[in-house]
Amino acid sequence: MGGKVSCTLGEVTNRADFIIFWGGNPAECHPRHFTKYSLTPKGRFVPDGRKGRTAVLVDIRETPSAKAADIFLQLRPSKDFEVLTTLRALIKDQRVDPAAVAETGLTLEQLQDLVDRMKKARFGAMFFGMGLSMTRGKHMNSGALLNLAAEMNAFTKFVCMPMRGHGNVTGADVVLRYTTGYPFGVNLSRGYPRYNPGEFSTVDLLVRGDNDAAFILGADPGATMPQPAIEHLASIPTIVLDPKVTHTSRLSRVHITTAVTGVSAPGTAYRMDEIPLPLAPALRSPYPTDEEVVRRIRRAVARRPAWQPVDENVRSAIA
Amino acid sequence: MWLGKNRRRLDEFFDVEGEKSEELRIVGDAGRVKWIGRDMTRGRIAVEGHAGMHLGSRMAGGAIEVSGDVSDWLGAEMSGGAIHVRGNAGGQVGAAYRGSLAGMRDGTIVIDGRAGLEVGQRMKRGTIVVSGGVRDFAGLEMRGGTIVLGAAELRTGAWMLRGTIVVLQSIPILPTFAYASTYSPTFLGLYAQRLKRLGVEIPVDEHAGAYRRYTGDAAIPGKGELLVWEPRG
Repeated sequence: MGGKVSCTLGEVTNRADFIIFWGGNPAECHPRHFTKYSLTPKGRFVPDGRKGRTAVLVDIRETPSAKAADIFLQLRPSKDFEVLTTLRALIKDQRVDPAAVAETGLTLEQLQDLVDRMKKARFGAMFFGMGLSMTRGKHMNSGALLNLAAEMNAFTKFVCMPMRGHGNVTGADVVLRYTTGYPFGVNLSRGYPRYNPGEFSTVDLLVRGDNDAAFILGADPGATMPQPAIEHLASIPTIVLDPKVTHTSRLSRVHITTAVTGVSAPGTAYRMDEIPLPLAPALRSPYPTDEEVVRRIRRAVARRPAWQPVDENVRSAIA
Repeated sequence: MWLGKNRRRLDEFFDVEGEKSEELRIVGDAGRVKWIGRDMTRGRIAVEGHAGMHLGSRMAGGAIEVSGDVSDWLGAEMSGGAIHVRGNAGGQVGAAYRGSLAGMRDGTIVIDGRAGLEVGQRMKRGTIVVSGGVRDFAGLEMRGGTIVLGAAELRTGAWMLRGTIVVLQSIPILPTFAYASTYSPTFLGLYAQRLKRLGVEIPVDEHAGAYRRYTGDAAIPGKGELLVWEPRG
């Protein structure tokens, strides 16, 4: 794996002349992305704005974003990995099987044309959405695109960036990364961070029933996770910090209402290019902020004596 | 052993019998017990029931036998010894841990049932046999060694650099693999003899069929080979 070759959205605005959107629908899901960062604005090295950029959309269906793109490539569902792997071979002038390529819904000529255009670009950017990262292959689909972006740098400048959804998910990744060294799926139970997605990631822990308590901050797993995970959340002591009533807060033992960050509480949100943006509250809230609640819980926990193994006599009495 | 962040005595969870020995027998459902046989170098562990994640992880010698199912990361990064699972296994069998460059370096893993995703990911040497089917990405980024599969789902051999994957049923081939020939590899006859000693039979009779050989993965570009059994007629 080649890691993530990325940049800020400011660089995309000022430099990118070839942009690929893969498995996403920014016209509806990130409506300001086209106009503010990626397509229409005039940049320092892209003075013609939209006319100076080529946009490609790769998706399994023709979404409203296709109208904004110069080239629309419609592939068959769950064929992203095959197409990306083929592109990796084509940029290195390797031979691929045209019949197997045709099973992806695209032709070899279409992919060769795309590769030629990518190589001719001065600055290419690839944005990918959940249509890539949450379909069959999941992290390997993302890995294939990250590798393609890294390898394209042998020919021209190329970067990639996930189109993040929901509030401040990038912030969670960034903060976990600079505090533990890993972006998610971190286990701190031994007193030091251990990383193993699939073993320590939230959904896997919940589905297997490995945890006996849950503390949920600014998320609604009760609405998005698989049923076994939701059932386990409902069966254990679950504490939710959220400004509003959610599916998760309904199944929790404790719901602490907190102020809305960015509206009635200050804070920091990370943009999808990992730029921290300070949030100034416009209103006052009678509720405490998430940070205040977490600090108070931490102080209360610190006052309690450390957990000790149960005494042998007590254990046998319980048995 | 560890329970969460606390080190506990083994007899708090299990009834322990017998003397100190290199032969260990675990009876009952150990499906939630992780790291059994981690870093073992000799001796024998028999699990009569299920076993949890990371069984035989980084083991260098000895033997482990499981009568039931095993969870993910079976024999991950092992460098020697033998593991035999009578039931099914999870994903990442003989694989490299996240961020690590090499998976299984040597040894043998035999699974009588099915296995999950990314079997043999980044393995460098050794043998993995899965008599049932495996899910996607078997032999992902493989660097060497041999994987024998009863069947496989998608993207078998993706991004492989070297090594051999033998599949006994027709599978979808990635566009980045090139068809080379249909033949009966001589080395496979010798290999079949070794596998027979492990209780696994693979077809090598030229009258019964032949192997379609594909090379790849051109995305790397790699020199791995996929051998897919094709019965005659």
